[in-house]
Amino acid sequence: MAIHKIILASFIVYLMIQFSHGATKERLFSDLEKDALDVTAKPSRQGVLDAGIDKLSITWKLSSTAKKQANFTTIKVKLCYAPVSQVDRPWRKTENELFKDKTCPHKIITRAYNKSSQSFKYTLDRDIPTGTYFVRTYAVDAKDHEVAFGQSTNEAKTTNLFSVQAISGRHKSLDIASVCFSVFSVLALLVFFVNEKRKAKLEQRK
Amino acid sequence: MASNEEGSIGTSLHGVTAREQVFSFSVDSSSQTLQSDDPTAKFALPVDSQHRAKVFKPLSFAKPHMRAFHLGWISFFTCFISTFAAAPLVPIIRDNLDLTKTDVGNAGVASVSGAIFSRLAMGAVCDLLGARYGTAFSLMLTAPTVFSMSFVTGPVGYLAVRFMIGFCLATFVSCQYWTSVMFNGKIIGLVNGCAGGWGDMGGGVTQLLMPMVFQVIRLAGTTPVMAWRIAFFIPGFLQVVVGVLVLTLGQDLPDGNLSTLQKSGQVSKDKFSKVFWFAVKNYRTWILFVLYGFSMGIELTINNVISGYFFDRFNLELQTAGIVAASFGMANFFARPFGGYASDLAARLFGMRGRLWILWIFQTVGALFCIWLGRASSLPIAILAMMLFSVGTQAACGALFGVAPFVSRRSLGLISGLTGAGGNFGSGLTQLLFFSTSRFSTADGLSLMGAMAVLCTVPVAFIHFPQWGSMFLRPSSDGERSKEEYYYSSEWTEEEKRQGLHEGSIKFAENSRSERSRKVALADFPTPETGTPTHV
Repeated sequence: MAIHKIILASFIVYLMIQFSHGATKERLFSDLEKDALDVTAKPSRQGVLDAGIDKLSITWKLSSTAKKQANFTTIKVKLCYAPVSQVDRPWRKTENELFKDKTCPHKIITRAYNKSSQSFKYTLDRDIPTGTYFVRTYAVDAKDHEVAFGQSTNEAKTTNLFSVQAISGRHKSLDIASVCFSVFSVLALLVFFVNEKRKAKLEQRK
Repeated sequence: MASNEEGSIGTSLHGVTAREQVFSFSVDSSSQTLQSDDPTAKFALPVDSQHRAKVFKPLSFAKPHMRAFHLGWISFFTCFISTFAAAPLVPIIRDNLDLTKTDVGNAGVASVSGAIFSRLAMGAVCDLLGARYGTAFSLMLTAPTVFSMSFVTGPVGYLAVRFMIGFCLATFVSCQYWTSVMFNGKIIGLVNGCAGGWGDMGGGVTQLLMPMVFQVIRLAGTTPVMAWRIAFFIPGFLQVVVGVLVLTLGQDLPDGNLSTLQKSGQVSKDKFSKVFWFAVKNYRTWILFVLYGFSMGIELTINNVISGYFFDRFNLELQTAGIVAASFGMANFFARPFGGYASDLAARLFGMRGRLWILWIFQTVGALFCIWLGRASSLPIAILAMMLFSVGTQAACGALFGVAPFVSRRSLGLISGLTGAGGNFGSGLTQLLFFSTSRFSTADGLSLMGAMAVLCTVPVAFIHFPQWGSMFLRPSSDGERSKEEYYYSSEWTEEEKRQGLHEGSIKFAENSRSERSRKVALADFPTPETGTPTHV
């Protein structure tokens, strides 16, 4: 029975640690200052962009309505999913708790904060999946906590969106190898089968 | 199903003429005919009258028995690797193919659905072509489908390929068929438990193997979206290699290969329509169908969803999620044989009633831990719940196949096939209900699936054998119906009984007296050693 008590006690202690740990994690997106930065993201051409090839011209500057700029140390620019790309995809879900939020998984660039207007020409990563996107910049303080943000679209995330087509990952060499192995597999089976039937017939004739 | 009767020499069975001791031991051109007095000297293990091994030596590779065992479980293991190879890579695949949760869920359902039909067909294939070709067909004809992952570009192709790969899970039936003809009935529970458990481990190993292979291929310089396609070549290649090994090193029956033996008139067959009818008519078959659907079924479902669950909910790396998910499947190594062993132990003490209680206990406890897994919000608790869940559920799978051989003697093969199909059906159903829509989060889906499993395990209380009783009822007190012979010979018509076709079932009934509880067995007269010589 003693071992059961020890296990139970350590379990309870562990739970308490978890709860206290959780308390510090609840930094919320809704607490961040909205539209602290004016962000624009212009695709290099019209239509659906190709990952790994097409570019985005991203610019950001401090908005006239910003208040907390004294805390800004670094600016993190990220590529984010528009709502249409989040439908029925819980791994891209928008959550209020910042550590749980999966809206903006793709990093574009991180730069030190500068009062003047900044720009960056971003070539879409080859790994970017197919989807509809916008750009968001987070202003981060010295403790690496997000303080404010700005995004290239409106609050409902419906304007100024752009679409990206990912690379397929297919390759001719793969296709050929696949066909070769498949044919070998079926042929080998047939060869064994026919051979054995022949041997059995010979056996019977003996 | 080959004739598995533990029949004595000279019993006329199924109208086969001249059942004398004429065996051809090898497939090469120098076949011999030997007298019956020393046919066992050729085997490395002690054998019974049908040359099935009486002992199980897992570390040996002696032909034909242990070799068949190892080739059988390795084939099954390889097929599990292929069927669930996509699961740990889903976080990469879903972005490459632009899949929604519904697409991923539906493909998961498809991956286990194909086997419902292929498992039913495999029994017939083994009858016609032997266990070797049953296994090899399954492995080598589905290998092209594994390779064809390199052509997939969207949700439809993904679903189609996973569906086709899933057909190879029919090797479960061919593996169990092969061990049933190679090993004596007294040890078949343990042998099948090991073969089944070690094969099921493939579902765990794949969660480790595929992310590792993916990582190695990425390090060689490819993009993730190409690397996962190349990774599929590994399971495909394994299937081809194992298929060739089965054909070259394996042997259908203890005495040789089926094609040779059939020509010499050794092997006889029962009428499929009769076998089918008696399997379907027996209500216990369908209870086992449901039960296995919620032990093996949820195990298959977990193989498909657990890696993604740990990746998404606890933000683990792909390989770390794979390691955690793998430990679920790896528990099969000891958990399933343990379930079979516990069932045998319970039978020794309490007879069949003990077996039924053990089955209910393991399956319900496993399902309760599944509910807990869904509720757990911290990683260590989730892992603990998952491990306890895996042991309970996998032991239940082993315990179920401690009961199944006694449900019918005539239709044993088909009942095994139907039960196996039930496992896949349960998996398809649970994936469809709980993991294919955004209605439930994966965590809630897990808890709901556990709850459903608890409910669907209750029917085990309704399995009643007139000669042994059930969980809550005692055996029948009627003199006639309380005999094992009555139960097993009721599967034969009067006409067939007159022809003596049911003799094998009678022998089996005599041996199954071991399923009476100890109290009853002691009160009864001991198993007859006189009468027809039974070489068991």
